[in-house]
Amino acid sequence: MSEAILHGGLILLFLAVAATSVFTRDTFSAITAFIVYGLLLGLAWVALGSIDVALTEAALGGGITGALLLRAASRLRHADHAAETRRTGPASHGLAALACAGLTAALIVLVLSLPHPAPSLAPLAMEALPATHVGNPVTGVLLAFRAWDTFLETVVLVLALVAIWGLTSDAMWGGRPGPVQIPEPDGNLAFLARLLPPFGVLIAIYLFWVGADEPGGKFQAGTLLAAMWLLTLQAGLIDAPVLSRLRLRLAIVLGPLVFAGIGLLGLVVSSGLFAYPPGFVKACILLIEAASTVSIGVTLCLLVLGPPERPATP
Amino acid sequence: MDEVLRSAAGLVVIAVALGLIRIFRGSRDADRMMAVQLIGTGGIAVMLLLAVSGAGPAAIDVALTLALLAAFASVAFVKSAQPPRPAESRE
Repeated sequence: MSEAILHGGLILLFLAVAATSVFTRDTFSAITAFIVYGLLLGLAWVALGSIDVALTEAALGGGITGALLLRAASRLRHADHAAETRRTGPASHGLAALACAGLTAALIVLVLSLPHPAPSLAPLAMEALPATHVGNPVTGVLLAFRAWDTFLETVVLVLALVAIWGLTSDAMWGGRPGPVQIPEPDGNLAFLARLLPPFGVLIAIYLFWVGADEPGGKFQAGTLLAAMWLLTLQAGLIDAPVLSRLRLRLAIVLGPLVFAGIGLLGLVVSSGLFAYPPGFVKACILLIEAASTVSIGVTLCLLVLGPPERPATP
Repeated sequence: MDEVLRSAAGLVVIAVALGLIRIFRGSRDADRMMAVQLIGTGGIAVMLLLAVSGAGPAAIDVALTLALLAAFASVAFVKSAQPPRPAESRE
């Protein structure tokens, strides 16, 4: 009975919020509905018992994605007005509806035709987990059994940042991203930006450390760090970094570099690429996670800030 | 006891849903941002209830993360609503 209330309520809420997000014409309303959708998704994962996914969703959906989309929307205001004057006809509406309905139907057929029970490597992974000395099976799979995939994921983040920096105009290259924030030393925002980051950084370190044995890890911790940095930037307490600084760029590639270094080391001291030396598996995993936390935090923050828009010295 | 707590979590979800309907029917942009805050607060309550009724202590970490970031989306909202100021106005 209690499950029925909880799951039923969540499902209804999901459908309503998803419909609002899709059917609203106004970009801003669609984004707020989408942020609500992300928070709901976190709830749903907790209700289903997948705490690791819930934690990632809460950190990304509740923090970075919302900030990224809101920033994009405020930059696209002009484009929005242009889109409103250009009405589309009923034929294109019908075509779009047909395509979407077809895709949804295909997905439903696919989901219904999945084999029961689903094929799973989970028992095998759980059996081999003690060899890694890591208590959290998600961390074990991500950083030991599927290290190559996880390595490529950390590289993708850097590539995304390179793509965004590629939009820089020549004159601004090596400048600072985002508009100048004028600080109000006695304002609410400055107060919040002084109060919250110490807690945020502490909890980020906790999430990184606990990730070895409980749900948590580099991505959740890095996202929190990025959110705290963005908060102090938006309050104007510190200025955005000069993007040509070597230290900043080293911080961006630190995670992938350490990951690749330890992976290559496996060729020499162990049995192959990304094979950690026996006895040092957990130490290697923690080292990679620590370096990646820094890189993910810096990269996510710079992704939200966008390409440089003003010179380094005003 | 778990049964009671899970029912309570379900009731919080329903209460939040009713609040959301009212807000999204309203509404200006600021009202909609309040919807995000409402689901954030309600979500923290539901996660804490689930944490003590079977989901395990790790769900408390999720609630902690949400609580930290709840104000963050509002800050991003206020900042994106302000018109960007030109760089020269610093002096």
